[in-house]
Amino acid sequence: MDVTGSPPDAEVVALVLAGDTEAFGIVIRRYEAGLLRFATRMLGSRDAAADAVAESFVRAYRHLASCREPTRLRTWLYRIVTNRCKSHLVRRSVADVPLDDAPPVADPADNEAALERADQLQVVERALASLSPDKREAFVLKHVEGLSYEEMAAVTGERIPTLKMRVHRAREALLKVLEDHA
Amino acid sequence: MNQIDSRIHQVLDGELGSDAVPAELGRAVGRLRAAATLLAAAPPGPAVSLESRVMAEIRRPSLSRARRLMRWLVTPRAIIFRVRPAWSLAVAAVAAALTLFTAGDGAPELAEHEGIAQFVGRFPEAQSVHVVGTFNDWRPGSIALEDQDHDGVWRATVVLPAGTYEYMFVVDGERWVPDHLAERLVADDFGRENSIVIVRPARR
Repeated sequence: MDVTGSPPDAEVVALVLAGDTEAFGIVIRRYEAGLLRFATRMLGSRDAAADAVAESFVRAYRHLASCREPTRLRTWLYRIVTNRCKSHLVRRSVADVPLDDAPPVADPADNEAALERADQLQVVERALASLSPDKREAFVLKHVEGLSYEEMAAVTGERIPTLKMRVHRAREALLKVLEDHA
Repeated sequence: MNQIDSRIHQVLDGELGSDAVPAELGRAVGRLRAAATLLAAAPPGPAVSLESRVMAEIRRPSLSRARRLMRWLVTPRAIIFRVRPAWSLAVAAVAAALTLFTAGDGAPELAEHEGIAQFVGRFPEAQSVHVVGTFNDWRPGSIALEDQDHDGVWRATVVLPAGTYEYMFVVDGERWVPDHLAERLVADDFGRENSIVIVRPARR
């Protein structure tokens, strides 16, 4: 994902705020892949993730003037998506997190390694879905999205020691599931 | 939950090199890293692009309700239902009384489900004040407050469908300020607080 592309985020934000609505497309193209991946891991459903991220972009556009640090637009967007995901999750129990049930249909051309990889992914996804939303969020932000603890604090509004504890607990729970499955 | 060797966390947090831990711990680190790598790969299935969907929503013209609110904006109303501090209560009471006495039969009728909201804020240095909220899709500029007597107290009276709304003031087009005198404040998605106004139907 090119997050440092030209023009810089602050410049794009200024363009949009000056009335160039179409410039918001740059923001979408720049960040949608990462946000969709994050939301998919949080919600366990590509459709729900697409809804959450689309809603988040619309909210971000409408509140763009309140983005106090346009240079940290990425963190700000993750914060919005995080909150959207939490809202989605509140409306259903964790146990209901629907991993997109149907695994990818095996094409005859698929090789054995790809199939094995799909199996492994399914195991990991189920292990992730078994975590509480807080731990799942912490693990995905840290290890899938590659955020620093400082960035995670800005995204979640939580203190760094709290986030570290959640990441640790998430690792422990995931490792147990993975080792049980091995 | 089983605790794992703290060195696994140290390696994963970049505080310890992978080669500084025994092979058994290294395998655990490897498992977790492999899991993260799998999760970081694009989810299976066709790539999704939200650009056209989001941009269509953004370009959509404002709702007719917003236009109707604009029409009503300049029309004085009589009902004030939010508590204000002493310095503005007196002003608001006079304004409300004047409106009550001058409201004639020609005053527009409210629908049963509609109520009246008055927004008042004190911004002595402001050049402009707008109110944005869930009633106007948070669009800055659509509902302006006025300070007709230049005393720094800005106000707007609008008709809204009965309901509960979140809102903020936008001062000079750039400073978003909650109304701390609102009935309630709630945390929003952006780590700040929004004010809450409850509009009750004028006719029951």
